[in-house]
Amino acid sequence: MQGTTSYSKLGRPLLRAVRWFSTSASKSGSDEKLVASVLFERLPVVIPKIDPVVYAFQEFSFRWRQQYRREYPEAFLKKADARGKGDYQIDFIPAPRITEADNNNDKRSLQRALDRRLYLLLFGTAYGSKEPVWHFPEKVYESEQTLRKCAESALESVIGDLSHTYFVGNAPMGHMIVRPSNNDQVNPSLMRFFFKSQVIAANKFNVGRCEDYAWVTKDELLEYFPEQAEYLSKMIIS
Amino acid sequence: MMRSTLIEKLKPLNSSLDSLSYQFLQRCSVSGTAKGKGKIKAGQPLKRSKVTTKKGSASDSAQKEGPRRRSEFDEMVDQCLTATPPLRFLKPKEKAREAEREKMGLISKANEQAKLKLKKKKDEFASPFIMGTPGMDLISLGLVDADKIPKYELTVEDGRRLAKEYSRVLMRKHRARQAAESTLLRLKKEAIEALPEDLKAAALVPDLTPFPVNRFMATLTPPIEGYIEKINEAARKSAAKEKA
Repeated sequence: MQGTTSYSKLGRPLLRAVRWFSTSASKSGSDEKLVASVLFERLPVVIPKIDPVVYAFQEFSFRWRQQYRREYPEAFLKKADARGKGDYQIDFIPAPRITEADNNNDKRSLQRALDRRLYLLLFGTAYGSKEPVWHFPEKVYESEQTLRKCAESALESVIGDLSHTYFVGNAPMGHMIVRPSNNDQVNPSLMRFFFKSQVIAANKFNVGRCEDYAWVTKDELLEYFPEQAEYLSKMIIS
Repeated sequence: MMRSTLIEKLKPLNSSLDSLSYQFLQRCSVSGTAKGKGKIKAGQPLKRSKVTTKKGSASDSAQKEGPRRRSEFDEMVDQCLTATPPLRFLKPKEKAREAEREKMGLISKANEQAKLKLKKKKDEFASPFIMGTPGMDLISLGLVDADKIPKYELTVEDGRRLAKEYSRVLMRKHRARQAAESTLLRLKKEAIEALPEDLKAAALVPDLTPFPVNRFMATLTPPIEGYIEKINEAARKSAAKEKA
């Protein structure tokens, strides 16, 4: 049901896009370069903070219910703390949610903002610019089978192996057109396609092929890309 | 007229059915249990009485420990069975009745107990109230800022106000998330449209490979390094100790 409604809403812009491509179909192959870039994200490790209003209501409802509940003796309630025979030393002090990486603001570590998503950014020479600049891991599409394979090879060249990554779906999640600036670049305009991939079961990555790398949250990401901030904030939710 | 003749015709049928099916297993007319010879012999002690005599003998043998242990456990059981809530839940009619009775000078037992309880524990329900096990509740874990919680009393009006704010906040967040997700979908569709033909066909193929099984959900507290090894070590050591 939802699919059909969204199609009806997008009907008009889709038709427009199709018409544009039908006129410039011959042009697109030679003129524009397709670049597959990867948005490598680490999902949150800890649940996010709870709004005090929400907590206040939960507390209120809990206290209200407790008033009308039977009060069982403490000895009976303590039975739940009994440990089985095979469990040794399983009581633990919960680890703090704000780690030392937070305190040091160490952007290279994955332990930083545990309740938010972290995205990988590289600092080096990217396609389409001479000087090193902050960019996503990317690769120009030459002649692989699909764009997703191109993106996978891009990530592989940076990380090493893809055993701890998971690419979400075959389709890109967004695209950006980079026009060449008038003065220096000889390169044609780029179409940058973003592919989403997630970190699976890993704490540290050896990131190569760049001078510097950083794991950033969404707000910091928007600082790194001031001119594309609006599009990025739509593409990335949290 | 027809009905009575029908019933008369049916009656002998029923009786014949009864006699046919129940001939093989006769039932006692009083208790409904199987009637017959070898079920309950006269003079044999009933099974129930055997159990009680056994208990009595056991407690006689371990005399000093037995009654004390039983009484501690039994005391706990009695307390559980007679546990009362701090505030009794009374419907309006009942409340009116209790008020009238108080005017006359009569107080029911339950009300009396409730009053004593209230006198004893007044400030148990102070805010911020700790919900759940003491170490792992949301406030001490830093998930909620204790000072930002709005003050409230345990009254119906305050409850309604809190419920309205709660619903407002959550609905706002829900709507924002729905909007963001539909934006995501729209951007994805636009990106697919912007692809050249063959790549578009490849991108439109749904990826049905199963999700990775070891993708972690966000938990309440972050994982502690070396915890699993510590547990396994301790378990192995204790197993070794038991064997040796």
